[in-house]
Amino acid sequence: MTLQVIAFFVLATVAVASALGVISFRNPIYSMLSLILNLVSLAFFFLMLEAIFIATIQILIYAGAVMVLFLFVVTMLTPEGGGISGPDRLRWQWGAGVGLGIILAGGLIIALLNGSLAADAKTAGLNGLSQAVAHFGNTEAFGQALFHGFTFPFEVTGVLLVIAVLGAVVMSRRFVRE
Amino acid sequence: MPVTGYLIVSALLFTIGAMGVLVRRNPLVMFMSIELMLNAVNLSFMAFAHFLNSVDGWMFVFLVLVVAAAEVVVGLAIIVSIFRTRHEIDVDELNMLKG
Repeated sequence: MTLQVIAFFVLATVAVASALGVISFRNPIYSMLSLILNLVSLAFFFLMLEAIFIATIQILIYAGAVMVLFLFVVTMLTPEGGGISGPDRLRWQWGAGVGLGIILAGGLIIALLNGSLAADAKTAGLNGLSQAVAHFGNTEAFGQALFHGFTFPFEVTGVLLVIAVLGAVVMSRRFVRE
Repeated sequence: MPVTGYLIVSALLFTIGAMGVLVRRNPLVMFMSIELMLNAVNLSFMAFAHFLNSVDGWMFVFLVLVVAAAEVVVGLAIIVSIFRTRHEIDVDELNMLKG
């Protein structure tokens, strides 16, 4: 086994275990810390896939900025004991959720194993990622693609961010009823 | 590693996220599960970008990241405003359209 295969299996174990932690911890703070571990392990996956820039922004923006915002709201809304107490009125949801989850995982993995992905992967390669990376360097290749081929989606993304900020301001404003 | 390995990890993460949305009662944890699902899809985009030798997958991951950030901002604002009016956040109790 090469080093890369060992790293893959370690990272896969960490990612799946931390994802299970997100949905099984009682206290939402622990769920969130587990989610951060999951995001960091995905960033390492991205590094293994030779996407240095995406791995960096995954850690800086996702595991950093977005999760800090999450942490503020979780600490604001979580009561002293942590989590929601009281009787669970819909206990059957657990059985149904786990059953549907197993069906979904099975379906996805069967589709993956039966698919013709591996055959297609060899013939594709239209934009020449490795060529661009070799020619420009990793981050420059990203920037070239973003500002040459994907300018319109980039601009639309800016509009989306403005709308999201305005929506958050409008929704979290305290309405004073006279 | 072949691309199938990455895709299987991605499928497992997506399933765990979907189960979290179905099973949990706390809207914050449901939100984290949605983040898990988004990240699972990001992982398969990155795997395809690498194995198809195309830069498009990176672009999709970048756009998904931005959309996820916007979605977190708006969703957390909704949860906070629900908490302000009802003083509880158990999604099973929130069964009225009019608060």
